Amino acid sequence: MTTRARRRRGDPALGAIAAVALGLYALFIIVPVIMSAWKSFTDENPLMAQAKFVGLANYREMTHDSTLAASLGFTLALAAGVTVVANAAGIGFAVLLNKTSLSFRMMRTVAFLPQVLSGVIVGFVWRYIMAEDGILNHLLTGLGIISRPISWLGTPDLAMFSVGVVAAWVLTGFTTVVHLAALQSIPLEMYQAARVDGAGRWQQFRHITFRMLAPGTTISVTISLITMLKLYDIIAALTGGGPAFATQSTALYIINLAFTDDRFGYASAVAMLLLVVSAVIALSVTSLLRRREVDL
Amino acid sequence: MRHRRLLASTLVAAGLAFSAGCSAAAPASPKGDVTLTYLTFETPDLTASFWKTSIASAQAKVPGLSIKDVVSPNTDRDAYAKQLQASGQFPDLLQSITPSTFAQAGLIQPYPQSWVNANFLLPMGNAYKGKVYIPPTNSQIIPMVFFNKSLFAKAGISGTPKTWSDFMADCAKLKAAGITPIELGGGDSFAASMPLVGILSADVLGKDPNWLQERYQNKVHFTDPNVETAVAKYRTMVTDGYFEPGALSVSYADSITNFTSGKTAMYMMGSWFLGSVPKATADDFGSFMTPTDDGTLVVPFSVGGSMAISAKTPDPAKATAFAEDWSLDPANLKTLIEGDGAFPMLKGKTLDDYDVNVTQVFKDSYSYVTQDNTKVSAIGWATNDDSMPSGLNDDFYAASQALFNSNDVAGQMAKLDGEWNTATQ
Repeated sequence: MTTRARRRRGDPALGAIAAVALGLYALFIIVPVIMSAWKSFTDENPLMAQAKFVGLANYREMTHDSTLAASLGFTLALAAGVTVVANAAGIGFAVLLNKTSLSFRMMRTVAFLPQVLSGVIVGFVWRYIMAEDGILNHLLTGLGIISRPISWLGTPDLAMFSVGVVAAWVLTGFTTVVHLAALQSIPLEMYQAARVDGAGRWQQFRHITFRMLAPGTTISVTISLITMLKLYDIIAALTGGGPAFATQSTALYIINLAFTDDRFGYASAVAMLLLVVSAVIALSVTSLLRRREVDL
Repeated sequence: MRHRRLLASTLVAAGLAFSAGCSAAAPASPKGDVTLTYLTFETPDLTASFWKTSIASAQAKVPGLSIKDVVSPNTDRDAYAKQLQASGQFPDLLQSITPSTFAQAGLIQPYPQSWVNANFLLPMGNAYKGKVYIPPTNSQIIPMVFFNKSLFAKAGISGTPKTWSDFMADCAKLKAAGITPIELGGGDSFAASMPLVGILSADVLGKDPNWLQERYQNKVHFTDPNVETAVAKYRTMVTDGYFEPGALSVSYADSITNFTSGKTAMYMMGSWFLGSVPKATADDFGSFMTPTDDGTLVVPFSVGGSMAISAKTPDPAKATAFAEDWSLDPANLKTLIEGDGAFPMLKGKTLDDYDVNVTQVFKDSYSYVTQDNTKVSAIGWATNDDSMPSGLNDDFYAASQALFNSNDVAGQMAKLDGEWNTATQ
């Protein structure tokens, strides 16, 4: 068989690998989503064998669930805030670390390190750092910046802020790497031409770097948003959703509904809501950012 | 071709792994013996070695039985048991779960009442709807108020407070002496709830021991004036500065260290704290009950126990024999007494029969169990008919955290009533 003929018919081995991949995707993603969608119309309880069809009752309950509203509000605020901060920091680090020397390569590795760590480990480590007598308070009191320890995780507003800081710290490793990759695809001639035209560093950044980073930013922002909308592990280890459920993300609320309150059916309905909200936000933001790329 | 062979071998291997995974759940071994699964959990005191030894000991007394332990990833056994049930892997034996949740779903079976009556001091101590699903092997007082004698003396306090006003006066003296009166590990929500558990058990259940049953019957509510008055006492403790301001950032583990190292004068915690009292300085610690307005002694009590037996176990006789033997083994109780501060509840035995090395503060605390006094269910902790609806404990703990930062007692109590109603619908 000629190469052209094989290409036309497709390589059977590659086809089989693709079929296995699609099969696994269907088994572990599509089927659970369909099952969850079905469960969202039932009163399924993890302890009971039989579940009853309840129609739209779970969806109606969501309209007056104040805990869900609070968790969704926190999740959306967290996603928006962390995405902005992590991407701004990622662009900044990428520009600073866009050098080829050994020390800069080592610094890139360090910048990516938080992304490699498990969210649970990150949560526990920061829990110790932000504890009442943790390193952070010792450092700030030692430097004379604060006179008494701050309750970073024990006050609802501060705990929300702390979760955001930790999540942004983790995500910045990822956004830095994505923007670094995008930076390296910018032709050096553009900068040379700009310098010849008398453009300063800020003008070069604004008119060349920032604009040419657009494809990387689209990927980075979209993935950051999705990651934050389904954030569970860091919060579970850092605050457990407290104090008083102040940092309970929607993902955490779903787990609590399912395995603490024994309400699989309602938890599935909330999971469907989160899926739809995430999809709408991700598609809207991607479409908006893609339009920006076209405008370049 | 090589691709195809690789793919075929991968699929065959995956198929074998899948079928092996399916058959792993089969109960019978080739010899015809039975293998049962046992959900356990590990703590610094109840170590993997403890479980291994205790399982081997009980297993040896039941011929033809093998036990495979399934270790919970954390101490929340109920949540893990639910996950296992949801994935079709409900264990045959489950250590220290909340029986009401699982009994309602028909997932666990009761023990023979004659065996329970014959072996335990309070046979119905943790019974749910008239049946015993967990042998009542031990009990806890939740919470006790532990105190540091040296810090009390430094603040000029002699003796322990009998009434609530005495307690508040002692807190004021300690604060005036520059000592934080009460330790609170509020970063862990269950630990944050301890002062509220103590006050509500003493003030509300002390006057009406059937309050939780009446709440199920919708006759009483968290928004009732007597409940709100009791909760307001906790707010006063916060606003008067008797806890450190950042107490909700302090983890449960750190709260133990803070108190045992003498940073704070009192610690409201379940009697399991007795297992953490340092032996070298044990004489410096004492305990008393959360004081009431008129000085009446109320002991918030919870009878715990060993393991529940699955209603679907393939061999109920062997599962029951194993569970009964494990529950009556003095060696297991010794570990629970020394490490977990458990108060033993086996009939006809004294502390000496367990060959334990316990502190004086343990002995003094244990005397509240053996004395004739007013014992009530520890609200939020009881596992009998007075247990809260499934999921409500977490809401109760969260309310305790919220009330540390908010004056809205009425709002938090209304929220609890709403959550109770949703949970019992």
